[in-house]
Amino acid sequence: MATEPLRRFQNRRFLHFLAAAYAVAWIVTAIRPIDRGDWFIENLLVFAAVPVLILTYRRLPLSDASYLLLAIFLALHAIGAHYTYAKVPIGDWMKEALAWDRNHFDRLVHCLFGLLLLVPVREVLMRTVRARGFWSYALPFTVIVSASGFFEIVEAIVAQIVSPELGTAYLGTQGDQWDAQKDMAVAVAGALCSIVLVAAIAALLGRKTPRR
Amino acid sequence: MTISNAGQRGPSFLRTNRFVVALASIYGISWVFLAFAPRDRAAWVLENLLVVFFVGALVFTFRRFTFSNRSYFLIAVFLSLHAVGAHYTYAQTPFGEWLKEAFDLSRNHFDRIIHFSFGLLMAYPVREVLLRVAKLPRIVALWMAVAGVLAASTIFEIVEAIAAEAVSPGEGPRWLGGQGDVWDAQSDMVLAFIGAAAAMLLTWSRGIPSSRKTNGNRAAA
Repeated sequence: MATEPLRRFQNRRFLHFLAAAYAVAWIVTAIRPIDRGDWFIENLLVFAAVPVLILTYRRLPLSDASYLLLAIFLALHAIGAHYTYAKVPIGDWMKEALAWDRNHFDRLVHCLFGLLLLVPVREVLMRTVRARGFWSYALPFTVIVSASGFFEIVEAIVAQIVSPELGTAYLGTQGDQWDAQKDMAVAVAGALCSIVLVAAIAALLGRKTPRR
Repeated sequence: MTISNAGQRGPSFLRTNRFVVALASIYGISWVFLAFAPRDRAAWVLENLLVVFFVGALVFTFRRFTFSNRSYFLIAVFLSLHAVGAHYTYAQTPFGEWLKEAFDLSRNHFDRIIHFSFGLLMAYPVREVLLRVAKLPRIVALWMAVAGVLAASTIFEIVEAIAAEAVSPGEGPRWLGGQGDVWDAQSDMVLAFIGAAAAMLLTWSRGIPSSRKTNGNRAAA
């Protein structure tokens, strides 16, 4: 709300811990990634997102919960970037254990994009444009789904610039012709799960705004 | 359906909404014509499932939420183009065939034109809903209308992929909708995005007054 007091960063212990933990994770995963070129491309997102979070802090400090969800997502993305996604050990282990035909770590992160980021986006929309009730779910859902679609467009453009002849063999798709649709579908599913969870929590707590 | 609504509303409705009645009549007649002997009846049914739900929703919500005439016009143009595409299964639409010949293209691009038109024509009605129902600030409504169109395009591509697997499993994007293009989904989405961005840029630059103030029939009712 506009009336909420500005919470100074100095007083938010939890955020100190969170920022430090993410910084450590980012630095560790920045050391000797499997493919530096790919690591750099994946981190363009981080170079854009983190400054935005820092610069908007004074005007719009988010709740601890929102920053925690953002940090979890960014940490998983750092792990993916370190291993070029297609070679993340947990994904390889799941591929072996469950006899999957590919490393599904990227799918997991696409799903978590919807699941984790709906809450911070919702908080921003509730506080800046006063989205309420139905719209406090529909608007963040729209933002998440369109962002997922936008990401797939950018990925396709990058793939054609980097290796036009490779086409679907590009590492983002791992040879799956429905890769883009599956990525987007899991993001939609993640966002829908998040909506159900947020609505349930809001109903249980009997209030509509996430508090710090 | 619109006529029965008109009856309930009395003569004042017809007088103030003559444009909408004319629009619905023209669309209804062209839809019926294009429903005769389509190239592929199954594909036609599939394409029209969406139309039935969408037009049904427009009729059902007509009295609670009446769009501006401009929005109804844009929606009618889009639905008419879609009716043409559905008649010719999109991939065989004559205009697209002509384009393919004339410009030596690898495929019939009529579906791409419709994806672009979806963005160009539907962003404005979406913005109107966002302004009047969600009560978003004007600048935010412009951005969210583009996001809304892109999100709808994204969900459409997901549904299309599921339908493709159901209709012709294992063929991937070689099926009808994809026409063999591995980047078909991304191309469709980027065109919808460009169309929506262009429409919202135009709306923003012309500073069209909010439909809240210009909606004649609401003021009259």
